[in-house]
Amino acid sequence: MKYGMVIDLKRCFGCRTCEIACKSANNVPKGVSWNRVLTEGSGVPDGPSGTYPNCKVQPFPVSCQHCENPACVKVCPVGATYQDPDTGVVRQDYDKCIGCRMCVAACPYTGVRSFNWEEPAYALDFATGDADVPVHQKHVVEKCTFCYQRLARDEKPACMVLCPGRARHYGDLDDPESEVSKLIASRPYKQLLPEKGTKPSVYYLV
Amino acid sequence: MTDTTATASAVKAPAAKKGGAGLNIAIIVSAVVAIIGIVLWVMQMSGGMIQTAMRNIDSWGLYITSFMFFVGLSAGGLIISSVPKAFGIKGFGGISKVAVMTSIAATCAAIGLVVVDMGQPLRVWELFVYSNLGSPLMWDIIVLMVYLILSCVYLWAQVQAEKGKVGHVALRVISVIALVTAVMVHSVTAWIFGLQQSHEMWHTALLAPWFVSSALVCGTGLVMATVIALRAAGYLKLDQSYLVKLAKLLAVFLLVDLYFFGCDLLTEAFPAGSGLAVVDMLVSGPLAPFFWGEIILSVVAVVLCVVPQLRTTPLLAVAGILAIAAIFCKRVQLLVGGFQVPNIDMPAVLTPFTVTNWEGNMAQAYSGMVYWPTPLEFGVTLGVVALGFLIFFLGLKFLPLKPQDQE
Repeated sequence: MKYGMVIDLKRCFGCRTCEIACKSANNVPKGVSWNRVLTEGSGVPDGPSGTYPNCKVQPFPVSCQHCENPACVKVCPVGATYQDPDTGVVRQDYDKCIGCRMCVAACPYTGVRSFNWEEPAYALDFATGDADVPVHQKHVVEKCTFCYQRLARDEKPACMVLCPGRARHYGDLDDPESEVSKLIASRPYKQLLPEKGTKPSVYYLV
Repeated sequence: MTDTTATASAVKAPAAKKGGAGLNIAIIVSAVVAIIGIVLWVMQMSGGMIQTAMRNIDSWGLYITSFMFFVGLSAGGLIISSVPKAFGIKGFGGISKVAVMTSIAATCAAIGLVVVDMGQPLRVWELFVYSNLGSPLMWDIIVLMVYLILSCVYLWAQVQAEKGKVGHVALRVISVIALVTAVMVHSVTAWIFGLQQSHEMWHTALLAPWFVSSALVCGTGLVMATVIALRAAGYLKLDQSYLVKLAKLLAVFLLVDLYFFGCDLLTEAFPAGSGLAVVDMLVSGPLAPFFWGEIILSVVAVVLCVVPQLRTTPLLAVAGILAIAAIFCKRVQLLVGGFQVPNIDMPAVLTPFTVTNWEGNMAQAYSGMVYWPTPLEFGVTLGVVALGFLIFFLGLKFLPLKPQDQE
């Protein structure tokens, strides 16, 4: 079993609902985003690519790519970043992390890993989202967990639930009958930085 | 840092015959600075590393730059001291033990710099319990430990050999092992960076040999500056011919280092692909002062070392210090530069969305992209460096490092 995400760029219109759903479900601290909607082909965020009148705004959601060959797992000196053998999800053990930030340097997908540079602060004075998300800690690295707590309960990851454009899909990439496998088989897709050899588990339909 | 060497030796110059008052003052001063550094480090830990200039985009900073630098500094001493013994050639006078002492002090400082960079230093024990032996960082920790222990053993063996308690063969075996470990320490430190496919600037097979050559440059520079200072202070006697020999070696190491630099720049720039961005950043971008700084300092140091008329004692000390400064510039380029070029070519990939008002512009969004340390980071680094000096001065005071008789 190997969980993967398929994001349909033709359906994504950049509303950032997935960003907020992720933040809220995982009680992600202030100033930290595990899932960000970037913009492809433009010099400014939310800007258009191409020249007038042939312009296009292409939102591009980026979070941890849950690579099959993760650069971060290899370099972690204590195994705080590890690949879940049952699901292929790349996980982070906050209690084990020594805060050396080797994984941040090793990950080619700039910005998907973040370090809590101070005591985690929150916009609200009560925790939001799932009760069973691990407590955020100061001076450790964190990132998208594929909503592991939800997967464990057979629930959808938070970013998948609310997508108004129905652009996000997840499932078992090893199962040829799964929704994600069928989508990849039937539509052209691309991946982020395939040349780095990390074999990301996130596919972008184009 | 080098300034501190000069002041410290100037301070102890008058009465250092037996490590007198001057040395005591140097010990006290470095101890005080080290304690201030520890206090600042505790502040950093309690208030959060948000007080440093490091962020997710520049996730390593002055601490890891200085770590690389001090690992390099630790080389020279051990190599200068072990090569003649290992190959059975004539050495550099009686400076062997002092040279190894500089290695020990620099290695301790390097280890200290990793510790202050860690977010969770209290979990350091995990490194030994949950060791992931596939991580280059783990290799480095192991090799650094071995290196530190071996340097101490090597120093002890030299002292014992002078008393006739350790034979020549045994000493020679230890020096060969020490030499191999020294080369490994630099290679493994390079691999922390060089094995990462995520940073084009770092991902080159040249990095490990280049780290060895840079280490030889600043290590030799350090030994030269130290022995000149110690000779001026009357701690040891050294014939000028040995200094000239060191200077010639330094010139060769500097030229090799510059040659590697040239090879690397050409390889990155020639395809005119993404590597060109790295070269542009160094030559004319935000890191240009460090790029040109390294080149100019290196060239001046080479000239001072190869022109016979310029090989006066003060100028040789200057050459040593310039060589050290040049390598520090190299370390800054490598570390800060490695983080500057993002792989994902999308706006705001490196930054949080910092343009929050409608008048905001791109300059504002990318502000803080080029790293510059905060005063706290300088303070903590200075504290760790002072700890290195403290170890060195304590060694001078309590260990028999003076040459017994000229080799």
